[in-house]
Amino acid sequence: MRVLRIAGEGAQALAANKLRTFFMMAGTIVGIAALTVIMAIGKGTEKKVRKQVETFGPRAIMLIAGGGKDLPPPDMNVTTLRLEDAQAVREQIEGLEMVSPQAWRFNMDLKHEANQIQAVVWGVEPNWHDAWSWFAVEGDGIAADDVATMARVCVIGSSVKRDLFGGADPVGQTLYVNKVALMVKGVLERKGTGGMGGVSDFDNRIIVPITTAMRRIMNVDYVGAIRIVSKDTALMPRQVMAIRDLIHERHHITPPQEDDFRLITPTVIGDLARGTSRTLSLLLGALAGLSLLVGGMVLMNILLISVAERTKEIGLRRAVGATRRDVFLQFLTESLAVTFLGMLIGTAMGWAVSVVLSKVSPMPVVVSWEPFALAAVFALLVGTFFGVQPARRAARLKPVEALR
Amino acid sequence: MIELDGIEKTYTNGDVSTPVLKGVSFGIAPGEYVAIMGASGTGKSTLMNILGCLDKPTAGHYCLHGIDMVNLEDDELAHLRNHKIGFVFQQFHLLQRTTALKNVMLPLIYADQYPDDAEERAAEALSTVGLADRLDYSPSQLSGGQQQRVAIARALINDPSIILADEPTGNLDSKSGAEVLAIFQRLHGHGRTIIVVTHDREVAEHADRIIVMEDGRIAEEISVAAPLDAEEELKSLANGEDAQ
Repeated sequence: MRVLRIAGEGAQALAANKLRTFFMMAGTIVGIAALTVIMAIGKGTEKKVRKQVETFGPRAIMLIAGGGKDLPPPDMNVTTLRLEDAQAVREQIEGLEMVSPQAWRFNMDLKHEANQIQAVVWGVEPNWHDAWSWFAVEGDGIAADDVATMARVCVIGSSVKRDLFGGADPVGQTLYVNKVALMVKGVLERKGTGGMGGVSDFDNRIIVPITTAMRRIMNVDYVGAIRIVSKDTALMPRQVMAIRDLIHERHHITPPQEDDFRLITPTVIGDLARGTSRTLSLLLGALAGLSLLVGGMVLMNILLISVAERTKEIGLRRAVGATRRDVFLQFLTESLAVTFLGMLIGTAMGWAVSVVLSKVSPMPVVVSWEPFALAAVFALLVGTFFGVQPARRAARLKPVEALR
Repeated sequence: MIELDGIEKTYTNGDVSTPVLKGVSFGIAPGEYVAIMGASGTGKSTLMNILGCLDKPTAGHYCLHGIDMVNLEDDELAHLRNHKIGFVFQQFHLLQRTTALKNVMLPLIYADQYPDDAEERAAEALSTVGLADRLDYSPSQLSGGQQQRVAIARALINDPSIILADEPTGNLDSKSGAEVLAIFQRLHGHGRTIIVVTHDREVAEHADRIIVMEDGRIAEEISVAAPLDAEEELKSLANGEDAQ
């Protein structure tokens, strides 16, 4: 085909001038590489966000004691959030599936016979099991009666079973926390390690009725957090506002006075998970845009210089039968071939950088096929946009002038 | 075959119009070897551009094979040049960093039908001009005379009606020039139509007929009774070298 033969002429001209071709390509390579990395980070981040929101609960709202902008893990030093607040939320906010207050303390000494370990003690209501979809696999979970009677019972995590009871059946056995004897009611399903802020063992914990935790073990009259689950994500923005107003009122806080509580929603969790990825993506996006623009302009200028340099070549081609369209096509091919080649090298480089990034940094990176499609589109756009002008100038040359 | 009738060409630059051709009429029959001779500024280059369909006259008619090129569009002129005219330029105009073979094949790129045997044809054209052993040489590896012969092979590749040569020996030493002229005479012997544009009387006298241009008009038409024989000149040049 004639078009292919002419495209071939363009390709030959590029091959004959490798250094020039490289300079024409440089901007596209950097731009497309940056674009590929952005896509990989973007995809990785969204995956991480989805996973964390899933873990947090897509319909969950955490009401945490203590103000400020810091995010979890919260501590139990703030004394203002009370069981009564949980009760008020339960009674006054509509469309909630569950309100589950919790009190906890880290690094508590647990004893059983000669064994001693440290674990988290978590005071909960029975609905905690539903709130976290975390149930007892041996024995029973915390029951409403346990809370009402301040029962001396607990349900232990699988790590506690392993470390404190040597893996033997712990149900019916007794362990001691702060000299308080607790009867083991059951063992929680194993969850493994993970969570926010690094690696922690989810299973190294015991849960006890919240009343028992507050009165008998921790000797406090406040809770650390209230986990709230909405019936419908669509209701959540309004519910979050209503809860904030309610607690403001109960705690006698009038903005701009600082809150003594925080409300964590899946949106907040998502933003947190996106964190630095977003900044990096923005920076890389700027880099990609800038290199494609500058690279495109360099490409156009080199092509324009090339047209001027090759005036005689163009004249000759016209003399031996090239039409204006043929000349236009040849120079556009040169531009497109350059950006296309740049795209291939750029995506390969971006891909390599993404793979390295996923190995050496905590940045979530997912490599997929989309960057290649996007890069191809960008290459086409840059090649066309910056190639048309030089190609048109080449095509406009009159054979007589060009051969002079 | 070629019929020029009252060709005029006037260049206009702002308000200043410069008439370069002021009514040129002549004809060239198939198989003729014609030289168009004139000093610089006589309009011979402009005439050559029009003969080569690289430029259109301001007035007059130019019929090639019965087609008046004055009425043709730019694309049609390109097509005409590709099929009917083989160009040989003073400065050779070969593509650098491109082999002799590829250079010769260039006009085929723009042909309607790309022949399957393009490379064979190019090789054959190169052997016609005595460069069968230089197919893969790039212009920078060839002498001026060899480069001009590559250009002639390129002019021949599409089997054109006319070979149009503009000062073909202008950049060559006398031996290379004689070689080029010998090739033209040989092609002429095989029935090709050849037009050479030159300022050099000696070059012109290798043709059958000389059209002398002066101030945009034909001053004189000379039938050359006994054209110079380039082949003979080559022999005497060779003998001269032997004598030294």
